[in-house]
Amino acid sequence: MTESATARRSGPPRDGQPARGPRLQGPGGTLLRGVIQLKELSILVVTIAAAIYFSVTTTTFNSADNYHTIAQYFIPWAIVAAGEVFLLICGEIDLSAGFTYTLAPFILNSFYNGGVPLFLALILAVLCCTLIGVFNGIIHTRFKLPSFIVTLGMLFLLEGISLLMSGGSPQTAPATGWVVTVFGKAHWAELIWALIIVALMQIVLSTTKFGIYTQATGGNSIGASEAGIKVNRVKIICFALCSTLAGFGGIIDGLRLGSFDPTNGGPNTMFLAVAAAVIGGTALLGGSGTVVGALIGAVLLGIVYDGFNLAGISANAFDLTLGIAILVAMLLNFGLTNLRRWASR
Amino acid sequence: MSDYQSDKSEQDSGRGVSRRDTFRWLGTGGSVVAASAILAACSSAATSSAAGGVGTFPTTPKWKFVFVNHVTTNSFFVPTKNGLADASAMLGLPTPQWTGSETGSVSEMVSAFDAAIDGNAAGIAIPLTDNAAFVDPTKRAFSKGIPVIAYNATAPNNYPLTYVGQDLYQSGVLMGQKIATSVTSGTILVGISQPGGNNVQPRLDGLTAALKTAAPGVTVQSVNTGAAQADELNAITAAFSGKPDAKGLYAVDAGSTASIAQLITSKGIAGQIHAGGFDTLTDTINGVKSGALDFTIDQSAYLQGFLPVLYLYMYKLSGSLVSPPSTDTGLTFVTKSNVSLYASANSRFEGGTSNALLNTPNPIALPPASTVTL
Repeated sequence: MTESATARRSGPPRDGQPARGPRLQGPGGTLLRGVIQLKELSILVVTIAAAIYFSVTTTTFNSADNYHTIAQYFIPWAIVAAGEVFLLICGEIDLSAGFTYTLAPFILNSFYNGGVPLFLALILAVLCCTLIGVFNGIIHTRFKLPSFIVTLGMLFLLEGISLLMSGGSPQTAPATGWVVTVFGKAHWAELIWALIIVALMQIVLSTTKFGIYTQATGGNSIGASEAGIKVNRVKIICFALCSTLAGFGGIIDGLRLGSFDPTNGGPNTMFLAVAAAVIGGTALLGGSGTVVGALIGAVLLGIVYDGFNLAGISANAFDLTLGIAILVAMLLNFGLTNLRRWASR
Repeated sequence: MSDYQSDKSEQDSGRGVSRRDTFRWLGTGGSVVAASAILAACSSAATSSAAGGVGTFPTTPKWKFVFVNHVTTNSFFVPTKNGLADASAMLGLPTPQWTGSETGSVSEMVSAFDAAIDGNAAGIAIPLTDNAAFVDPTKRAFSKGIPVIAYNATAPNNYPLTYVGQDLYQSGVLMGQKIATSVTSGTILVGISQPGGNNVQPRLDGLTAALKTAAPGVTVQSVNTGAAQADELNAITAAFSGKPDAKGLYAVDAGSTASIAQLITSKGIAGQIHAGGFDTLTDTINGVKSGALDFTIDQSAYLQGFLPVLYLYMYKLSGSLVSPPSTDTGLTFVTKSNVSLYASANSRFEGGTSNALLNTPNPIALPPASTVTL
């Protein structure tokens, strides 16, 4: 089963494995096949189409300022999604990631206000978030509770802790020093962090043993464990990765805003991250997905959010469109899967 | 689950991609784009406006203002949306955009604020629900010549041209003084949807401070009710069950006030316990009418939409000569004596649908004496 999971990765089939489906011949064909096999291609086309649409219909879409605003929209979703992709590939989900995102800045503040230097406070806060993920993972694997239930409980727990730690009101974020500049305040800092995270996570997923184990675990958990993969350990690490990234995302977004707010993040951020991952080609029930795809999915959502604001669409109509966009993308994803099955007969 | 997955992995391993796939995928983009085009068309059709200057004013560009909001879909702001639509129609402007966050997310509000600046909005109105996050965007807007006004909530050390909304602390003080006329000892329960929130906490502080001087025998016990109305009713019910000898049930936000009205009505204890709160949700108005609530406070959500549009228009029309004044949208105690108009009119001014002409009361009840010192 691990082999089949490996074969599902984008890129040409490995030696010794039977190729399925119609084959394109010749060097040009190989290139074309490589491009078509990229899972991200279809969502990339949709994203570019959306960008072209808003470029044509609004006068101010193509400006550095607006690109920055689009980035502000999608960065939190892309960072949280980078972790969720690993869990989704495992066949799991972390519903509490949105509130890990909310909570992390307050953990940072409590260390920082207690006299810990800011950089150290940041590291400690992110480590606390890692522990949240480890806890989620251990509860899930030890007690065989579905991750949906475990992280649903954790969601409310973290919301409560966020409210208690913040007193329900926004706290002023640290505003000066190199840490603030590097971790959010510098003009494009947040985007650079997001791109670094996505690149690293994609490399981990595509090229490391752990990445392959993750896909094997989601593709067929029993088969994977029979093949000697420590499935539970893989899952716990994935939960930890997801919480760590969510916490880090919450901190850099808070530092950028200059304010730590208990209403930031939450289920909305988590669901948009999951939506970004699924739009980007990650299967909700596990087995396949890419971090880059999730990033492109997040960019698409960011463009839609920003574009509709530029176009002057009011809030109520926006949700309607978002819903349509996600449903259409999902239906096409489903159609494509069927088509692939048909083509591979 | 693993059976399903292994089946799915078979499907996924097929690599064939036909032209049909490509067309289907192009169709995704097409559908999204088409949906957005339809919505854009609806929006522009709804916002077409009269040509030429209004009254004696010169012709102006079709200034499109943007209202950023923290809870865009909350029913409290329906009159606000009516107000901004009415003002812009009166001035021959397109209806301002209504955007922001559904859940109070400051990050989303900042992004919407930034998108409005990038889109060269004619002017921006925003509730300052956070002390720090809106300072930079406000400065950026001013640097691009876009005026910014705060409405509904304001914050210290920010730079809006002005604030249009209720003086929240003062409204709490007046509510406390009102409570002191009916409750002088014992415990009162006060529901608050978001302790610490910039838009409700100052009311509770003002109320507590006023009671300390006007009725020192009264103990204020706050009840954290949360933002969802069903939960608010549960929270209030539970708190009252735990404190059945409470002398009064009050609240400092719209939802909790409506919950108190529901609770008192359903328990049939109207008249046996003092109660009151804020805003004019339907349950609240019915509660005042039936006697479940002694009073509720109307902060004129309508004017919080109407006046910012008027102020932004005058500011731009006059090249900043007419600088917008800080405006307390007021505090009207709605009691049994004046509730009938609220209950029957279904007026646009209170979030209803009717824009029928309402008759001025005759005689007009005497307002409170002026308190100005000369």
